[in-house]
Amino acid sequence: MKYRYLIYILSLAILTACEPKIDEFSPSKGSADFTTYLAFGNSLTAGYADNALYSGGQENSYPNILATQFKTVGMQGDFKQPLMPTNNGVGVELISTGLFFHTKYILGYATDCLGQQSLAPVFADPDASQTDLMNQLIAPVVNQGPFNNIGVPGLKSYEALSAICQFNPYYARFKSPDANFVLEEIPKINPTFFTLWLGANDVLRYASAGGASDSITSMPLFSSSMDAIITSLTQYGTKGAIATIPHITSFPFFNTVPYNAIVLTDQSLVDALNLGYAPYNTIMEAMGLEYRINFQLGANPMVIADPTIPLPDSLAMLKMRQIQNTELVLLSIPHDSLKCAYWGSQIPVPDQYILSESEIAAVSDAINNYNIKIKDLAKLHPVALVDMNTYLNEFESGMVFDGINFNVKFIEGGLFSLDGVHLNNRGYALVANYFIKDINRTFNANIPQVNITDYPGTQFP
Amino acid sequence: MRKFIYIMLLFAIATWSAHAGGYQVRLQGQKQTGIGLIGTPFNFGASSMFYNPGALSMMKNKYDFSLGASFTMGKAVFQKDATDYQAKTDNPIGTPFYFYGAGKITDKLAVGLGVYTPFGTSTKWDDDWAGQMLIQNISLQAIYYQITASYQINEKIGIGAGIVYATGKVKLNKALPYNNSEANLEGNTANIGFNVGVYFKPNDKFSFGIDYRSKIIMKMKDGDATFTVPSALSSNLPKDNKFDAELPMPANLDFGLAFNVNEKLTIAAEVNWVMWSTYDSLIFTFKESGDLLNSANPREYKDSWIIRIGGQYKLNDKLTFRAGGYYDPTPTNEKYFNPETVSLNTIGLTLGLSYQPIENLSIDLSYLHLLGQEAEKAYEPDNFSGTYKTQTAIPGIGISYSF
Repeated sequence: MKYRYLIYILSLAILTACEPKIDEFSPSKGSADFTTYLAFGNSLTAGYADNALYSGGQENSYPNILATQFKTVGMQGDFKQPLMPTNNGVGVELISTGLFFHTKYILGYATDCLGQQSLAPVFADPDASQTDLMNQLIAPVVNQGPFNNIGVPGLKSYEALSAICQFNPYYARFKSPDANFVLEEIPKINPTFFTLWLGANDVLRYASAGGASDSITSMPLFSSSMDAIITSLTQYGTKGAIATIPHITSFPFFNTVPYNAIVLTDQSLVDALNLGYAPYNTIMEAMGLEYRINFQLGANPMVIADPTIPLPDSLAMLKMRQIQNTELVLLSIPHDSLKCAYWGSQIPVPDQYILSESEIAAVSDAINNYNIKIKDLAKLHPVALVDMNTYLNEFESGMVFDGINFNVKFIEGGLFSLDGVHLNNRGYALVANYFIKDINRTFNANIPQVNITDYPGTQFP
Repeated sequence: MRKFIYIMLLFAIATWSAHAGGYQVRLQGQKQTGIGLIGTPFNFGASSMFYNPGALSMMKNKYDFSLGASFTMGKAVFQKDATDYQAKTDNPIGTPFYFYGAGKITDKLAVGLGVYTPFGTSTKWDDDWAGQMLIQNISLQAIYYQITASYQINEKIGIGAGIVYATGKVKLNKALPYNNSEANLEGNTANIGFNVGVYFKPNDKFSFGIDYRSKIIMKMKDGDATFTVPSALSSNLPKDNKFDAELPMPANLDFGLAFNVNEKLTIAAEVNWVMWSTYDSLIFTFKESGDLLNSANPREYKDSWIIRIGGQYKLNDKLTFRAGGYYDPTPTNEKYFNPETVSLNTIGLTLGLSYQPIENLSIDLSYLHLLGQEAEKAYEPDNFSGTYKTQTAIPGIGISYSF
């Protein structure tokens, strides 16, 4: 009996005396002042994800994550964001019949035209009424402001200083009465520190339209717009961080549907297609053009529309060709049309779903030039350069953080949300850590990074 | 006494832990534990079976029994790199135990049976801690059953050897990077090994010992793997799976020297060469979804040399005091430091006490305090790094009876 008591008492005494201790992390603000933080940017800054702006995504925006960490180094007050009224949120698309409103995507099961069920992004609430969604989107929230996160989904650099941005419903809903454009929201907050990540839409809106509409912002316009924005942000010597623009064509939106998605298993179908395209090949040869369309058993490159083919108007219907393996098929392509409506074989895939080689090159050149400009700005102003382009490029070959593997694959890659362009929660947390790393380095600060495992990845059903 | 044994056995079926030298636990005799875990140059009766079977034949009485257990209360603290995140383990109290019974068949030949637990670890991190994808909790337990024969060549030299049948049990949990997902692995195994030792006592002043214990590889075959994943992933990751893995229990070569300063005071030193370099990687092979699940996880342990000193003072016929200390450098590789085994460079400090109410009975108490030195470590394959520190308190109690 006695021994037992002895053991109990001894155990208890030792347990309490035996706590290993490591010095706690000691945050410091270095030479920057984080009292009031303003985030300027586009959808990536707003916390847009899963093809919609929704409250959960906004709460997980990298600026909101940063704000939480900045609190350890003196940020005061709340970090206000123009939160959407629901967690299903609203996304909006321009379609032939007008505007189409929808909720965010979640991962669910979709049934295709062949009756096959597969894991796919589906709308969180497919039955939500258009009117309700529109009302959610346009309901003003300006009375909850002023806002620290003035990221506007869809915003291009020059739109930030043009009244045209009032037509963007994501800005209109939180626009201050006396502001004409996003830039004029800055004095409402009077930040002591800012982040600026802008410019992706200057190419993305063009690229996600397959280069068939919209246009790439010219370099002079991008330059002068960014100059104006950073001048406004830094006018009282305010410090901040500016991020480069990632090469969006490596995102899943541009890399999920394979170029050779036309899989033929039936020789008679191969023969029929080749017979059908025989006149095309003959005409191309006669016109001295090298385009030929040929099918064989197995995976075949899609037939795509290409309005740049130099044919006379009388032969405009032949402005099509097979896609190169270096060209990209967009995730927005209607998958059922590919599977059941002979797109890519009998019917050329419309141009708006394809990024051709020259379009890819135009996008890539623009991004390179934009990033040169952004790096120049970082040299001229008291800001940290966050080379997000380089950081995100590293994910192409795969990265691992705290035992979680990431790459740029759609859904399974763990980095992007279900729209294939915007990041998921973990992706935004990684972005926040990259900002912190470079802010720490530049201002000799010591702001704690966040744990990636605290952020959920893509939710599987 | 019956109650005491009962409590011992109760604890013995619980798991146990120690944060030193990989997952080795050298708590196989309370007298040895008190004196800096030095055993090779001593004849402490039946427990010599583990420390140096050569010394067993030197036991004074015809029969010798020894039974004991220790209670490891360890905690590791982790400070994640570049964050203000700290985590602590909530390890269960571990109870390494031993039982030895030995008898002399002739004046020169002694035989014995021992059951002891030289390897084990039990580390429990919070389920949602930052390293959850590496490990949430793990318990590893090996029980060795040893039969031993020891022969006294003459009054100065004894030799001995034992054959070990070792059983191993491992159980681990880790999170998977999907929503509400985790993997559970559990397996049992058994294998055999041996130990040999030479004990040499040239005169009343000095004694020496050399002991070698073989490596035993615990080969897990068809262990149970259970995966909890969202239903959308269950075709890729079937819920019930089987796995193979192996874990080495490394060989040890021990040299010990004891010196009797006078009739009351003995001092001793020992060196253990622990051949951890055998632990190169931890390989899991799964029966189903192997292309997705199979993994070779580098560990790249290196051999370690443990240096020990200790002393004992025999106050009178009833009381003996012991103290000791040692330095146990971590065998882990700093690039492949996995929080499943938080093994740091460790300083061990020991105290011991034996009370002999009658000549044949000894009640032995020991206390071991381990200080795992703060160090920055990384598990590079998972890009997981931070600073670790450990502290462990291990009181122990045992009895030995000879006649």
